[in-house]
Amino acid sequence: MLLEPGVVTAVIGPNGAGKSTLLRSLNGSLIPNSGTILLNDKSLGKLSRRAIAKQITVVAQEAELRFPITVFEYVLGGRFVWANSTTWGWEGERDLEVAEAVLDETELHELSGRMMNELSGGERQRAVLARALATEAPILLLDEPTANLDLSHQATLLGLVRERCNSRSSSALVITHDINLAAQFADVILLLKGGQVVKTGTTQQVLVPDLLREVFSVDVLVDAHPISGVPRVTPVH
Amino acid sequence: MFLNSSRFIKSLSLLLITLFSVAACTRSSAVLNNPSTNTRRITDDAGREVFLPAKVDRVISLAPNLTEIVFAVGAGSSLAGDTTYCDYPVQAKNIEKVGDTQHPNLERIIALKPQVVLVSTASQLEVFTEQLRSHNIAVFVTDPHDLEGVFRSIEQVGQILGYVEQATAVVSSLRARAMAVDNALKQSPRIRTFYQLSAEPLYTAGHDSFVTDLLKRAGADSVTANVPGAWPKYSAEAALAARPDAIILPTGGSMGEGNGTVAKALASSPAAKTGRVYKINDDHLVRPGPRAVDGLEEMARVLHPEVFK
Amino acid sequence: MTSSRLSNQNRVTLRRTIITLLFLVAALVIVVGAASLLGSERLPVSNSLCALTTLGARQCGLTSDHFDILFQIRLPRILLAAAVGGSLATAGAGYQALLRNPLAEPYLLGVSNGAAVGTMLALLFFGSLEWSRPLMAFAGALVATFAVYRLARGRVGATPERLILAGVIVTTFLSSIIVFVTTMMDATRIRSFTFWLLGDLSGANTGLLPVPIAVAVVGAIILTLNARSLNLLMLGERDAFDLGVEVSRVRVTIFLIASLLVGSSVAASGSVGYVGLVVPHLTRLSVGSDNRISIPSATLGGALFVIVADTIARTVIAPRELPVGAITALIGAPLFIYLLKRV
Repeated sequence: MLLEPGVVTAVIGPNGAGKSTLLRSLNGSLIPNSGTILLNDKSLGKLSRRAIAKQITVVAQEAELRFPITVFEYVLGGRFVWANSTTWGWEGERDLEVAEAVLDETELHELSGRMMNELSGGERQRAVLARALATEAPILLLDEPTANLDLSHQATLLGLVRERCNSRSSSALVITHDINLAAQFADVILLLKGGQVVKTGTTQQVLVPDLLREVFSVDVLVDAHPISGVPRVTPVH
Repeated sequence: MFLNSSRFIKSLSLLLITLFSVAACTRSSAVLNNPSTNTRRITDDAGREVFLPAKVDRVISLAPNLTEIVFAVGAGSSLAGDTTYCDYPVQAKNIEKVGDTQHPNLERIIALKPQVVLVSTASQLEVFTEQLRSHNIAVFVTDPHDLEGVFRSIEQVGQILGYVEQATAVVSSLRARAMAVDNALKQSPRIRTFYQLSAEPLYTAGHDSFVTDLLKRAGADSVTANVPGAWPKYSAEAALAARPDAIILPTGGSMGEGNGTVAKALASSPAAKTGRVYKINDDHLVRPGPRAVDGLEEMARVLHPEVFK
Repeated sequence: MTSSRLSNQNRVTLRRTIITLLFLVAALVIVVGAASLLGSERLPVSNSLCALTTLGARQCGLTSDHFDILFQIRLPRILLAAAVGGSLATAGAGYQALLRNPLAEPYLLGVSNGAAVGTMLALLFFGSLEWSRPLMAFAGALVATFAVYRLARGRVGATPERLILAGVIVTTFLSSIIVFVTTMMDATRIRSFTFWLLGDLSGANTGLLPVPIAVAVVGAIILTLNARSLNLLMLGERDAFDLGVEVSRVRVTIFLIASLLVGSSVAASGSVGYVGLVVPHLTRLSVGSDNRISIPSATLGGALFVIVADTIARTVIAPRELPVGAITALIGAPLFIYLLKRV
């Protein structure tokens, strides 16, 4: 499996297929029992936390907010890894610029002085993405980023990810339960079951009824989306 | 969020109380033991009226000075129990031990069936009186603040144990020795003296201590004579500013060789510079018993060597 | 653009931090000066101030006794108060950020008692070696910290309730060890010990004074250097890790440094309670919860607090003295109960 620049990969599979384990391993928080993960040809296990964080950023399903914090400070947290000794652990001009730009990108400017816990679910999740984007890491790992969002917010969020991948040749790996959403935004789909890769390929290659029946143990109907033309999956009871 | 917060506060405040309470010395007045069988009545130093049986022949002492007094009046055979600190006279070591002064064992005390328990600090009172009263055991408190108070303790112990004559004899001999010191020092100049109970932290003898009276009788002006309390913790700078001409270090007795050096704040005092620092056996100075007069004589001798040649 | 610039203005910046810290340093200098003039002995004010400004190089007409009182007794004691207060407040701020618990405090977590047991054992077994005290206190503090941390960590992590409960358990357990050991000691040592357990700064004029001062300064600097990591850790460990914080390294550093801070101050002065609770709270209320400003502010604030408390302790019933811990607890305990109700 390979994450390439500019490519959005979606990981789908039933509960317990190992989707989150995969993401946590790619991020370095879990160490794989076998196999290797290479980041720019270097083994992930040999890189420092800081070096990994400069390349890989994670968008979680929800923000951890044990203490009150403003949106701007929260987003600025994404600049942590760029701190260096010349600024004495303080954000420099460049850090502030990046944070401003990311807030523009995610349309959170109006809210930047508000407290995180005052935001709506969709706004908060945009802030989580904004912080991830502020790291300027070329690889984005998204762990069910839209699980708590309604339809329009789901599309907005993934649209932003798509945009970032297009404009900066970033690569993204999205874990999701929503196969149709995956089909809509991903270039490549990775189908997992029981910790094994069942199939990797384009949406058309992976989203076929036989494979899906095998993996999800349910009969599905796959047709083309009337507007975009991407495959559309509907369970049949 | 904090469902059991009231329980929490309770347990916490309990903890805080245990951690921060400085042993409170409450004096409950007139706690009586059973007066019907106890026909004699005597007032102790805590101001309580203590009822005693006509004849007392089993007594427990909870302080080394009281043990010394019991032996001094010749009533050693009445002593049913004493503390691990009680080491004088040597016979005291063979008496059944009931714990130390701070932590006496109540069960052991009751099992020894004494008629009276002699106590030297009022703080012990609370713990005992109630429980001992139900076993018809009287508690007698001594708390002398001067040498006359020590003499009174001796007479009272003699009275309790039926050794009045012996006690009177002991007191008159001790008083004669104290008078002899008084007479010898009549013309002598008084010496400004600091009594260093311990160096770190700095403790001294205050207004209520019998040692302050001993110092006065030994021809010294204790620089801390007017400090409230018996054994106050003393400010280092006040000690420095007092510039004592002599320093008394109680040390070298049963408590070991600790407190053998002058506190740093006193290192530049006239006393330290002229070498007028005197070690006196602390058993003679911390125990308000018969040997307090030894302590008095020893202090008088070192402070006024010209008089006692 | 404007609203974001606005939010930017309220931010804690390096500039604002430096101004705040300079202000606190100025306050510290003034309070040290004022406390030097107060005590059971009255010293001539102008001569004392003159001597203080020359740092004791000139006697400025003070008698040698007054000079000694000022420079041998008062100033060392004030410096020790500053070191102890700074250490405990810094440690408290560190524990609170790391454990994400506003009630975490060295005294209530049992860390102080751990250090006290260590010091007692050092006194009992290596009485003649002065150096053994801070080392053993450090070891004791470390063991207690570890025990509380392990006890408090349940399936849902260390909730405030669990943490304080674990602290109470460890505190009472260690208290019983202290009682046990004091019972084994002879009577003269007990008196000094009970006083010491309540926090006593009168031992300041020993050669070990530079140790707590150095530890306080170095500890505060190291914790401040980790402040940005702590800011992220305070929000949540998972996200902090994802953003590049070496969570386990930071955690070990904070625990080690906080234990060192507590150990050195307990070895020097006994258990001065509540400083680590009161001071970080007041500083967070006034300068915000960004650790880059709140930790160094807590250090300076702690120094201020204990100097004032000790000045009260040594003057209010002069020439007798109170233990400084009694004064800090008198202020701290009610505040703690107030905070407990707000959690």
